[in-house]
Amino acid sequence: MAKKTYDLLFKLLLIGDSGVGKTCILFRFSDDAFTTTFISTIGIDFKIKTVELRGKKIKLQIWDTAGQERFHTITTSYYRGAMGIMLVYDITNEKSFENIVKWLRNIDEHANEDVEKMILGNKCDMSDKRTVSKERGETIAREHGIRFMETSAKANINIDKAFNDLAEAILDKTAGREPGDHVDRVLVDRKQQSNTSRSCCNN
Amino acid sequence: MPVCSENYESEIAEGRNCRSVKCKFCGSVILSPSTATFASFEFQLPLIRQNKSNETEPETETVSFFWSVSDMYTFQNVGFSHTVGNNKYLACADCEAGPIGYHDLTNKTSFVALSRVQHS
Repeated sequence: MAKKTYDLLFKLLLIGDSGVGKTCILFRFSDDAFTTTFISTIGIDFKIKTVELRGKKIKLQIWDTAGQERFHTITTSYYRGAMGIMLVYDITNEKSFENIVKWLRNIDEHANEDVEKMILGNKCDMSDKRTVSKERGETIAREHGIRFMETSAKANINIDKAFNDLAEAILDKTAGREPGDHVDRVLVDRKQQSNTSRSCCNN
Repeated sequence: MPVCSENYESEIAEGRNCRSVKCKFCGSVILSPSTATFASFEFQLPLIRQNKSNETEPETETVSFFWSVSDMYTFQNVGFSHTVGNNKYLACADCEAGPIGYHDLTNKTSFVALSRVQHS
């Protein structure tokens, strides 16, 4: 077996209403008029990203709810082992912002109480369609003692910074778990998905 | 550093990748040098771009050369698709171009197709 190539492993979740661009936060390669990409048809289950913080090599395992939120089936099993949660709303969609409070309650019910949270106001490139001011985002975050940032997955604004900041906050909070703790989690097949073509970047 | 060519021999040193493995489209680093072992066998890998008219039966091509990775956390950056049969397909973590290879759930090994990535 090869030597360990990292120091810490953090499991992160992306949560928020459908269409707020959670998938886009993990998505840039797009379909065109005549062809579709094989991967966009099947959908991404999770990603592994490597960041380096304070001389430590940290592996981030990032999970997207992939449409489960539509059926309100995000429960304990999905939250299990999560050390960080990105709560995403769409700055052009009032309802998605109002639902942040609901998601926070859901997290309180199901996730570890010491899970590190961050609120992201996504699609900040679409300023002409904005309905949720940056101040309102900052206020709700302050009320709940959570970090806040506006992002644009499309214009690649603050995405890397958001993941870095969340990872740093987890690093501050805990020494992290030993590598290998979550290996089993990865092998559990969640519901099989097929032909769920997602193209929220186009709206 | 060896020069990149269609001849993959120059990419292999002591059975491992001597250079970084990166996404062909966006340059995102997938594997660091010397972290994967070379493997040769035939596999039908779906094409990256599929015709919209035949989503039910994806077009594939035979791929023969792979970088084999036994621990998924060896990857610098990579995406895993939802499960199809016994496999998950691998994609670039940044632009999601793929499949660049596949992950076999039965032996937990990942295989990155040399022809679907760049080396530098």
